[in-house]
Amino acid sequence: MTPWTPYILYAVFALGGLGVYFMLPKPGRSQVIPGAVLAVLALASLLLVIGLTVVSSETSNGFFYVFAAIALAATARVITHPKPIYSAIYFVLAVVTVAAMLVLQQAEFVAVALVMIYAGAILVTYVFVIMLAQQGGAPVTDRRSREPFLAVCAGFVTMAAIAAQASKLPAPDADRTAPGVSLASAPAQTTHEATDAGDADDVLTAAGNSYAIGSAVMTRYVVALEIGGVLLLIAMVGAVALSRKRVPVEGVFEPSRPPGEAGREVPPY
Amino acid sequence: MPLVSEYIIVGAAMFAMGLVGFLARRNLIVIFLSTEVMFQGVVLTAVAFARAHGNLDGQAYALFLLVIAAVEAGLALGLVVLLYRRRGTLDAEVWSVMRG
Repeated sequence: MTPWTPYILYAVFALGGLGVYFMLPKPGRSQVIPGAVLAVLALASLLLVIGLTVVSSETSNGFFYVFAAIALAATARVITHPKPIYSAIYFVLAVVTVAAMLVLQQAEFVAVALVMIYAGAILVTYVFVIMLAQQGGAPVTDRRSREPFLAVCAGFVTMAAIAAQASKLPAPDADRTAPGVSLASAPAQTTHEATDAGDADDVLTAAGNSYAIGSAVMTRYVVALEIGGVLLLIAMVGAVALSRKRVPVEGVFEPSRPPGEAGREVPPY
Repeated sequence: MPLVSEYIIVGAAMFAMGLVGFLARRNLIVIFLSTEVMFQGVVLTAVAFARAHGNLDGQAYALFLLVIAAVEAGLALGLVVLLYRRRGTLDAEVWSVMRG
């Protein structure tokens, strides 16, 4: 880590932003290929900078570079692909690689939950809506972007601000971040019954992360858990209320109203 | 140098790319897909901080983030279906009638 690492990162982000700008759908000749070349260059140099100056030698893991490269490339493709269904598929790729990076950080439970909820549930819903709403070729909506240059500038500022702070973070205590020690000692902090911590250690080595995060969610974060459940219920009621449909009635023809609104209101039950 | 900066930088990159997609794309579905990408970046960052601090707060935070993401996806797609029925298109520009 050197004092000029943030400036190298800014340059890399500017290059990547330029690549994303060219890759965004625009009218006229396709600029995807030069944009992709720029973006791949930026990605390679970002991983190089991370590998040379950011990562400390004892934690450098080859898998991180592979998964980070796939995740960032898939993300770039999600936001730049002109067909939404391909965006959704690239999003699955990004989710799976992010889950892999969570496994690298010993967050197995969150990784599995991420794959199940995102790739299993949310993505299926998205694909349903894409199939429902968009049949046929790509309309003009997907072939033009709205102020791509200003959007890339906003993204660049966000990324540069976060990365400049991330490269200035103080180093945590070495003993608390040692792999295995950190999560094994966490339940003793998070459970209120510290007396059974000695017995729990045997369980922890077997059950690991799921046990630890389960006990944390059920004790320390139980109020947040309840609020989350209520929030899901409210969202379900809201989604049903939002997307109820007017059913057409026989003999009623209302050409003045748009296709989805003709007919009479039916209650949502 | 902390152990997790590389994950925070990658998370920031995913968040910023999602922001670019959210601002630049015109398809309503892709706009909400971009917010999901931003969620991915935040989850990565939260878990990285959990590892840096050696406790489970960040992982629990990531778990509740998943709840919020599910809520957001359900409501957002309900809204998208509603808006699509009104105008017959997924273009977000159609709804910019309040532009001065």
